[in-house]
Amino acid sequence: MIQAHEIEIARHCISFACGNGADNARVNLNKSSIDSCNMLNGELDKVTHAADRSIYLYLYVDGKYGTFSTNMLEKDKLEDFILKAIDMVRMLGEDQCRKLPDPSRTERNARTGRELGLYDEALEQSDSDSRLGRAYAMSIWNDENANHSEEYHIISEECEYSESYDDSITIDSQGFEGRHTESAFSFFAEVTVQDNEGNRYSGYWWDTTPRKDAADPAECSRKALERAVAQIGPQPRRSGRARMVVDSSVASRLVAPVLNALNGSALQQKMSFLDGALGHKVFGEGMNLMDHPRTEGRNGSRMYDSEGVSTKDAPVIKDGVVCQYFINTYNAAKMGIEPTVEDASRPCLMPYLKDKELADGEISVSLRDILQFCRNGILVTGFNGGNTNPVTGDFSFGIEGFAFSKGKITHPVREMLITGNLKDLWNNLIAAGTDARPSSRWQIPSIAFENVSFSA
Amino acid sequence: MNCKNHYLDIFNITEAGLKEIIAKALSRGGDFADLYFEYTTFFNLNLKDGTVSSGGFHTDYGVGIRVLKGEKTGYAYSENLDMREMLKAADAASAIAQAGGSSLPYRAGTACTPALYPMRKNWRDTDASALLPFLLDVEKKVTAQDSRIVKVMARLSNSVCDVLMYNSFGEITYDTRPMGSISVTAVFQHEGKSENKSVSRSFRMGAELISGALADEIAAEVAEGIDERFEAIRPKGGQMAVVMGAGPSGVLLHEAMGHAFEADFNRKGQSIFSDKMGQQICPKGVNVVDDGTLEFNRGACRYDDEGVAGQKTYMVADGVLNSYLHDRISAAWYGVEPTGNGRRENFRYNPIPRMRATYMESGNADPSSIIADVRQGIYVKELSNGQVKIGEGDFTFFVKSGFLIEDGRLTAPVKDINIIGNGPEALANILAVGNDLKIDNGTWTCGKEQSVAVSCGMPTILVKSLTVGGE
Repeated sequence: MIQAHEIEIARHCISFACGNGADNARVNLNKSSIDSCNMLNGELDKVTHAADRSIYLYLYVDGKYGTFSTNMLEKDKLEDFILKAIDMVRMLGEDQCRKLPDPSRTERNARTGRELGLYDEALEQSDSDSRLGRAYAMSIWNDENANHSEEYHIISEECEYSESYDDSITIDSQGFEGRHTESAFSFFAEVTVQDNEGNRYSGYWWDTTPRKDAADPAECSRKALERAVAQIGPQPRRSGRARMVVDSSVASRLVAPVLNALNGSALQQKMSFLDGALGHKVFGEGMNLMDHPRTEGRNGSRMYDSEGVSTKDAPVIKDGVVCQYFINTYNAAKMGIEPTVEDASRPCLMPYLKDKELADGEISVSLRDILQFCRNGILVTGFNGGNTNPVTGDFSFGIEGFAFSKGKITHPVREMLITGNLKDLWNNLIAAGTDARPSSRWQIPSIAFENVSFSA
Repeated sequence: MNCKNHYLDIFNITEAGLKEIIAKALSRGGDFADLYFEYTTFFNLNLKDGTVSSGGFHTDYGVGIRVLKGEKTGYAYSENLDMREMLKAADAASAIAQAGGSSLPYRAGTACTPALYPMRKNWRDTDASALLPFLLDVEKKVTAQDSRIVKVMARLSNSVCDVLMYNSFGEITYDTRPMGSISVTAVFQHEGKSENKSVSRSFRMGAELISGALADEIAAEVAEGIDERFEAIRPKGGQMAVVMGAGPSGVLLHEAMGHAFEADFNRKGQSIFSDKMGQQICPKGVNVVDDGTLEFNRGACRYDDEGVAGQKTYMVADGVLNSYLHDRISAAWYGVEPTGNGRRENFRYNPIPRMRATYMESGNADPSSIIADVRQGIYVKELSNGQVKIGEGDFTFFVKSGFLIEDGRLTAPVKDINIIGNGPEALANILAVGNDLKIDNGTWTCGKEQSVAVSCGMPTILVKSLTVGGE
């Protein structure tokens, strides 16, 4: 973890930079560590210990701006580094829009880094034996091979268990100081099986939580196996339009390009299909996206953004209307509008069933409910490549998953593609569940759209 | 400067010090240990709205310590090159020895290899004032190409990486690896519609890379084909013949074949090609190469990150699966020589089998006759990101621009469609290979667990059938 003398080094960087020509400066000092154990086919395959440190400097000199970083934290080396950095900034072009945020917008209460309950001191008591024990417990290799199925056999099983922390301090020359500390207990498993015809299928599962007692890696590998086995026997399907349900484990893939398009960098450079959309209804009635950055103990929460600006709960899209752009100090000055925060922290998509009233607070909409609601279509459980044109919103993604009929899964599908435009897609939203994975930074539940173009 | 003492000095270490760390790493019974010292400087300049208004430099310094026991790995690193800190990291990595396993021969040739990327002008001696005019020149030349351009963004970045590698066989290798890259994106607006086009170049070379000719080349490519982008349609989706244009189509090989040939996936039995060594997997006459020896190429490796000499590896020779891509672990496991594919993002990662420059050698067909032979299909001109599922062999890549092929002619332009296929089927369904191999020199980066610089290339080829996304 960051020590008191290292905080002093960060403060010294600010005073040294400002004493040697910088008008303003911001410093981000980060330390992190990760210990991981990897298992292959029931045996220990790799142990890793990693400890990182870095210091980032953001320098504002004579109306010019540069960013610099190093992992050499010795004071004399840093001073030399800063002097060279100031020299370089002076060679760049002037841009008066580069400045620190208004101090009244910066966070004042993130002093210890632990205000949001994202750090578990149990990490400090953990040792290599306990990590190894958890990693060994994840493996189902020996059990499964002792009771092997007649439909498939397991070719390989990889499991990883890791424990880590990330500790960062941000200080600027206008008096802002903030600290953010979080721990993570993470596990991942990937299982590959082979059916009787020699076809291979792989499935994976993962989870991560800031609290050790909330991490339950025991079923991870079994879930990965279930996901692999479920894909056995895919059937061909014709191209055409159908309803599409996207499982909560991958649904954020369809939200990410929307949030990217709301970001000031994309908007300012005309690289956004949502340019000019603020205050306008561009998505369907059922699209309600909130940012909830201050939920205690939940991944993704943070009290301030990378500039030190306070975060707050706020609607991003309400009833299909764009309510917020994510505009940092620089882009706000370039665009001549008020700044907000740099980006979304913990976006949450609200539940919705088209043409149905959902009572506040007491609703539960599962993936099964959504399949029943949609009756027939394709359930997407994984994306395979693809991209979005940021300027037009046109997308095309490879998908895999299952066909469903009368609300029940019938058979797996693969080698299929979906193609369309993001505005059209989100205007065709017909359902959003309440099953977002608790540990995800982005709270995106299972979602459903109608009239989606599938190619096969 | 290119001698052992120069590199020892960079990391303030002696040969006795190297031996002491290795001894600590093997103290609990490991079979093999190696050290990877790295000092990298990164530099970037960014142009937006007509001004180079941001930039910076970054340094990274440390050592990665690996211990092998059989094919099992213990790995730790230190960003502090004080001997006590390095010995602590060596001790952490040594813990893998408790995993048990048998001793394997990891030895490989570290023969002297030619300098593949000497810098005539070292980036470290070239400050911002010397580079800034180049970016402004690029912006001016791009803007002059087309009155519909409303925004130009350009980024010039470079890095110089000094590495020193030492292992428990006493092999010591060292290298200095430069990289210079330029990326330009222009946004076009016309009659209420917007389009964008990105162009990049990346080479392992010094600051001699930048020139007026390079600026001209990039500017011309940014503007080329933009009319078609405004007119482009989404085709009707489904299965159809696909002609892959020469150059960037090499991403097909990278995804459909290269990853599945990386020996770690095969050693674990995960790859769809795990049991196909020596079998005919492509039509006769097809040769697919992964090559670390192309001068100044983004994927060039004089030595890989295990100190193994860079090589040219025929993965497919005359249509037959000839070699996987090996690091020391997989080579020992298979009982073959390493192929120089043990690569890593930086000292924080252990090396694993990775591609370098992956391409198909030219065939005999005339590219125009390949198109003329297709009744209905897609011609792929520019593409971007790809992905593969190793077990199933399903791969995808994203087509930024191309054309419909109707009755042997290129007709309506198409854009922004994904194409999906199955690796073994696509390879078996190559119907023609053009005589026009072209290596693409864009900023290709492969993201298998770690990011490493790669490149790809391809002659024009015809694949009988792939699934094309569409309306």
